[in-house]
Amino acid sequence: MVLIPVPKPPKSAINPDRPVSKLLRNQMEHLQKAEFRLPVKQQTNTYINAIKTEGEAADYIRQVTQAIHGAHGVEPKGVAPGPVAVTPRRKSRGSDIAAVAEERPTRKRKTARTSKAKAKKKTRTKRTG
Amino acid sequence: MSKGLDNLKHIVVLMMENRSFDHMLGALKVQDPRIDGISPDLSNPDSTGASVKAQPLAEFQGQLDPDPDHHFPGVDLQIFGGDSSAGRVPNMQGFVKSYFSQRHDVNHSQKIMYYFTPDKVPVLTTLATEFAVFNRWFSSIPGPTICNRAFAHYGTSFGKVGMDLFYINEPFKSIYDRLILANPKRTSKLYYYDQASSTQEIVNLLQHQPELFGTYQQFLSDCKKGQLPDYSFVEPNYSDHDGDNGAEIASDQHPDHHVQAGELFIATIYNAIKDNPDLWKSTVLLVVYDEHGGIYDHVVPPACAKDGFVASANDTGTGRAFEFDRLGIRVPAILISPWIPKGTVVSGRTFEHASIPATVTKHFLGDYDQRSPREKAADTFLDLITLDTMRTDCPDFGV
Repeated sequence: MVLIPVPKPPKSAINPDRPVSKLLRNQMEHLQKAEFRLPVKQQTNTYINAIKTEGEAADYIRQVTQAIHGAHGVEPKGVAPGPVAVTPRRKSRGSDIAAVAEERPTRKRKTARTSKAKAKKKTRTKRTG
Repeated sequence: MSKGLDNLKHIVVLMMENRSFDHMLGALKVQDPRIDGISPDLSNPDSTGASVKAQPLAEFQGQLDPDPDHHFPGVDLQIFGGDSSAGRVPNMQGFVKSYFSQRHDVNHSQKIMYYFTPDKVPVLTTLATEFAVFNRWFSSIPGPTICNRAFAHYGTSFGKVGMDLFYINEPFKSIYDRLILANPKRTSKLYYYDQASSTQEIVNLLQHQPELFGTYQQFLSDCKKGQLPDYSFVEPNYSDHDGDNGAEIASDQHPDHHVQAGELFIATIYNAIKDNPDLWKSTVLLVVYDEHGGIYDHVVPPACAKDGFVASANDTGTGRAFEFDRLGIRVPAILISPWIPKGTVVSGRTFEHASIPATVTKHFLGDYDQRSPREKAADTFLDLITLDTMRTDCPDFGV
C-alpha cells in the first residue's frame, strides 16, 4: 500500500476579505428568497448588497442556514470542524447581525461591511459562478 | 454482475468547482497515452493572432484573477472561437480571446492555457491513475455552476442556462425525492461543509427538506460509524470564513481559491471511506467537477439528446436560442472503488452530470419513467466496477 503525502496550503492562502464572488452572491440571493418565507422573527434583516467579502457572506449564509433548519426543527449534526484550520479564529460578525434581527422584526437596510473590511478592500475583479 | 457490484451499497458523489480536464489531468497523457490530455500541438490564438500553446505552468492561486468567464456567452466564444455564423463549427479556439476580454492584457490572457503537472495535484492524479478516469465526462451545459449542478440533482436544469433560481413543482423530481419516496424507502443525504458554506442547492431542497442535509463533520462521523446513506452528495467549502476551530479555507478549487485545499479535501473524503473496511468494500466514490470555469480544454463538447426545454436567445445572451442539444466543456471525473481495476481509462463513451441521477436511479430504484430526456439518454457508470476480487493495493493519503 502506498502512502501519498498531501501538501497543505500555506497560511497566506486564506483570505476572508477576498471580494465576494458571483457564486457566493447568487447563493446569498437564493438564501434571501428562502429566508423571506420564514417567520419575520427568524429573518436576519440583512441588506445583502452591503456584503462585500467572503467572510461577511459566510456569516450571512450561516445565519440563514441555521434559521431554515431551526424553522423546520432539524439541525444537522456538527457545524464547523474541517480538515484545514490555517489561521487563528477571527471575531465573528454573525452574532451582531443576529442580534439586530432579533431586536428589529421589520426589514431595514443594514450595512454588513466592517471598517476593517473597507480598509482592506481590494481592486480585484469579482469572480463569477 | 461482478462481485464488486454485487457488494455495492453506497454511492458517494463529490462535486468540486470550475476546473477543466486538461487543466487538472491533461498532463497525465505523457505517462499514459490512453488519457486524452495535453499534446504539444495544442494551442489557441491570442488577441494579436499569435499562437499560444498549452503550458505546464498552472499555479495554486493568484493566477486566474479575474475569475475566467464561464457564463453562456463566454463559453460560446471559447467553444466556437468567436464565429457566430449559421454554419459554425466548434473548434475550442476562443479561450485566450475570452480571457483577454476581461482584463485586456495579452500576457495575462495566455494563462488560461496553463495546466498542472501531476506532482502539483498528487491526490487527483493518483486517484485518476489508480482507479477509473473518464476521458469524456462533460459538464451538462456550456454555462455556469447552478444550471450544471442542477443536472446532477434533477437530471435537467428545467430550461435554465445561468445562475437563476428554479422552483419546485417542476415535472421531474430530484434524485433525493425519488429515493425517499421509493418503496421500500431509500436513504440519501447532501453533506455541505458547514453552515457558513451551506449548499448551492438551496431553494428546492434546503428550503423544503432541510432534513436531507448534513455537514462535513457528520459525513466523517457517518463513515466511521458505518451509517452512510445509500446515496450521498458532498459539497466542498465555498468560502474562506471563521469556523469553530479557527479560520476555514475554501476547498472548492473555484478560482482563485487555493487548489491544494481542494486536494486535501478530496483526500479526506477518500480516507473517510477507506478507513472503514466495511464501507470501503461497499462504496463507490465519484469525484467530478461541475464545470470548466472558463479554463482551456481541447475536446469539442459533443451534440447530445435534446432536453425538451429551450432557453431563449435573450436568456443565452448569444442571440440564438439553445435547445440543450450540446454538452458543456469537459471536466475531470474519477470513479473510485477497490473493485475497479487499476489504471482504468474510460474511452469511447460519453458522460455528463445527468449520468449521476441516472446511475443512482438505475442502481437503487430500477425502472423509473418520470425523468428528463437528457437523463434517460445519459450513460451510467457502475459497469466499471468489474472485479470479483477486491484490491488490496489501493493508495492511502497522508493528510
